[in-house]
Amino acid sequence: MNTATIAENNRAAADLADVARVLDGDTQAFEGIVRRWQGPLINMAWRYCRDRGRAEEMAQEAFLRAWRGLSRWRRESSFSTWLFALAANVYRTELKRFPTETLPLEAAPEPAGLATQHSELAAQLSQDAVRRAVLALPVRYREPVVLFYFHEMDVAAAARTMGMPEGTLKARLSRARELLRQRFPRLEEEHNAHPSRKDKNAARVGHPHFSKSEVAEETGREAAR
Amino acid sequence: MNRAKTSRSEAEHARIEMEINQILATEEELLPSSGFASAVMERVRQEAALPEPIPFPWIKAIPVLLLAGGGIVWSVVEMVRLGGPGLRLTGLSQSAQSWLTNPLANLSAAQARPVEQAGWVALALGTSLVSWLLSRRLAGRGGLL
Repeated sequence: MNTATIAENNRAAADLADVARVLDGDTQAFEGIVRRWQGPLINMAWRYCRDRGRAEEMAQEAFLRAWRGLSRWRRESSFSTWLFALAANVYRTELKRFPTETLPLEAAPEPAGLATQHSELAAQLSQDAVRRAVLALPVRYREPVVLFYFHEMDVAAAARTMGMPEGTLKARLSRARELLRQRFPRLEEEHNAHPSRKDKNAARVGHPHFSKSEVAEETGREAAR
Repeated sequence: MNRAKTSRSEAEHARIEMEINQILATEEELLPSSGFASAVMERVRQEAALPEPIPFPWIKAIPVLLLAGGGIVWSVVEMVRLGGPGLRLTGLSQSAQSWLTNPLANLSAAQARPVEQAGWVALALGTSLVSWLLSRRLAGRGGLL
């Protein structure tokens, strides 16, 4: 069994224990759930709105809804699947009520040209332009993209969070990629050569929502037990 | 020549999509602000301290709602009946028009009298309900109860 799986199992066991304590009336036990899932839920909200303050507000609302609806989790799926689906629902509703200010896809700025792309700043700008363009996609394509990359390109997990068949999600992803490609026809390969990017790629292991350090921390705790 | 051009453009598309893929897959992770968990727990504790919401008393409300609904329907029928020839009910068959304009004509006199009285009672109840709802609305209190 690899370290990521062990960490995931520990987390699932801790979720189960905390949920049981909360349902028995121990309000404080909910803090364990909040501390474990605050990072993933805030990062997920960030991908929906690209506004840090708002991402935290939306994540807070998702936790409150989870608190209120904890008794409705039927344990048919893992706690994280239930929590992500609930959070996606909250974020979708929030953004419907107060949409983010986005440019239409055609107005999203084109990444910087060849002459400037060697600077770190220009590379960063071009990446930001692509990420912001996701928010300008039509709603039906935006959410599959957001969740697919949030779940580290796991189609099944993204489909579970959205509550839609995998085939539908794949079709929407394909269309979304096509729209983005049409919008950014001159993206340069320089992006990949950027050293900081390689480091970030290397930091992501095993579990889709936790960094290497978090996984190592969890594994250490398991060893201590 | 055309085939070479097409495959070059397909390769270009694939390269751009791969580039987009990499950009979107490598997002910098946000760390929650230091007070986030405490803020959430504060709100959770506030919610936990609130008394349980009182469930809507459907068992008591359903008969009242049915009565009020019946009263409203009856009052509409009565108005149509009393308005009689003045009202034009287009699109209805002759029998439906006659039933709507004078439903009591199909009943015997002995049956018609209590039904008519019940109708007036229902009308009075419906009017009371409407005036009560209107007064609540004017007082700025939403909801039925």
